[in-house]
Amino acid sequence: MKRRLLLVPTVALMVGSLGLGALLLVAAPFAQKLAGAKNATPAKAAAAAAPAQTQITVNGVVDIDPTKAFGNKSAPVVMEVYSDFQCPACKQLFTTTTQRVNDNYVNTGKVYMVHRDYPLPMHAYSRVAASYARAAAHIGKCEAVEVALFQNQEKWEASGDVKGIVASVLSPADMKKVQSLVDGKTLEPLIERDKQLGMAVPVNQTPTSIIHAKNGQSYPVIGFVSYDVLKTLLDQLVAQGASGK
Amino acid sequence: MDSAPFNYRRVIIWMGRLVIAGIFIYAGLAKVIRWDMHPRPPLGIARTLFALQIDSYQMLPAWAVLQVAQWLPWTEIAIGLLLLIGWRLRIWATIVTLIIGGFFAAVVRAYTLHMDINCGCFAKPEPLTGMTVLRDGALLVLALLMTVFAFQEAGKPHPWTAAAPEQSS
Repeated sequence: MKRRLLLVPTVALMVGSLGLGALLLVAAPFAQKLAGAKNATPAKAAAAAAPAQTQITVNGVVDIDPTKAFGNKSAPVVMEVYSDFQCPACKQLFTTTTQRVNDNYVNTGKVYMVHRDYPLPMHAYSRVAASYARAAAHIGKCEAVEVALFQNQEKWEASGDVKGIVASVLSPADMKKVQSLVDGKTLEPLIERDKQLGMAVPVNQTPTSIIHAKNGQSYPVIGFVSYDVLKTLLDQLVAQGASGK
Repeated sequence: MDSAPFNYRRVIIWMGRLVIAGIFIYAGLAKVIRWDMHPRPPLGIARTLFALQIDSYQMLPAWAVLQVAQWLPWTEIAIGLLLLIGWRLRIWATIVTLIIGGFFAAVVRAYTLHMDINCGCFAKPEPLTGMTVLRDGALLVLALLMTVFAFQEAGKPHPWTAAAPEQSS
């Protein structure tokens, strides 16, 4: 009989746990709305700080530098990747995952890919690398320079010779244009704007990818992710976009 | 003293059951429902988002990552409920200890390799730090104690149903 009495606290605990779960479930959307309201201020500040240049908005994603974005603007999925050229995980993501996403999703019109610069202060040369990559993008050589910078990351990280790596994949005439843009610092506000947008997300580490679905929902993917798992998410979001849900 | 209803072993077994069950049920529901996101994603997408977190540990091939993401949240909820109920406690305590041991090994590995990743413990973004290692370590110790004591106590009569000592007249 006394043993049966144990059932009473056990059942009470289970009911209590379920009740707590239900409360969390009901309260979560309100908490999210409050959090959203708080986050609106830095996002607006970042947008206000952005220079009024040739930025575009695609599927609700604002302030895109079109020279650092690839694919079909009406694609059902937009993928923003915040990365730092000197970060090893960013190199891994770029060389093993992003390039396959480009081949299979960006080039087929399913994903619009946006590269965002997020140079971390802890890396001595990442800002310089971002400046050269941005300048190269503005003369139409984004991919070649980004590939060179990531593939030779260890070399220029050790020597600091970012310029030499960039020059190795550009013609002398192109390199002259790139150098002129870097020296003129006219593209620095674009890098700064990416950084501000990242801080508003907030990006706490690199790489951070934000995947935007057609229905306005955004999914942060933090750190390195393998292509095969990312592919599953992209397929789901592409299918969701196609079905209009 | 051993037959008292609240000897220290029984207290630890109860603490273990309540704490671990609560954490497991919460963690499982958080992964399935994703109440940290608004609007909440459909179940399939929530599962893939959890798969991305498992994948960041870089321990398993993609097919295994997707399988773990599919089954782990439901396993956590089921084991949490079974611990609360207390049915076949020794079996579920052993299984939960093995699962927590697996989590602890994965977290320690990621921490010692300086992997800049999220824990993935409760689905929401939560950087893996030394505190995560400590938290999982404490949980493993609790699970181990709960399991060992559950086996020790199982061999004894329950204090509330044991025969009362004979009264001397």
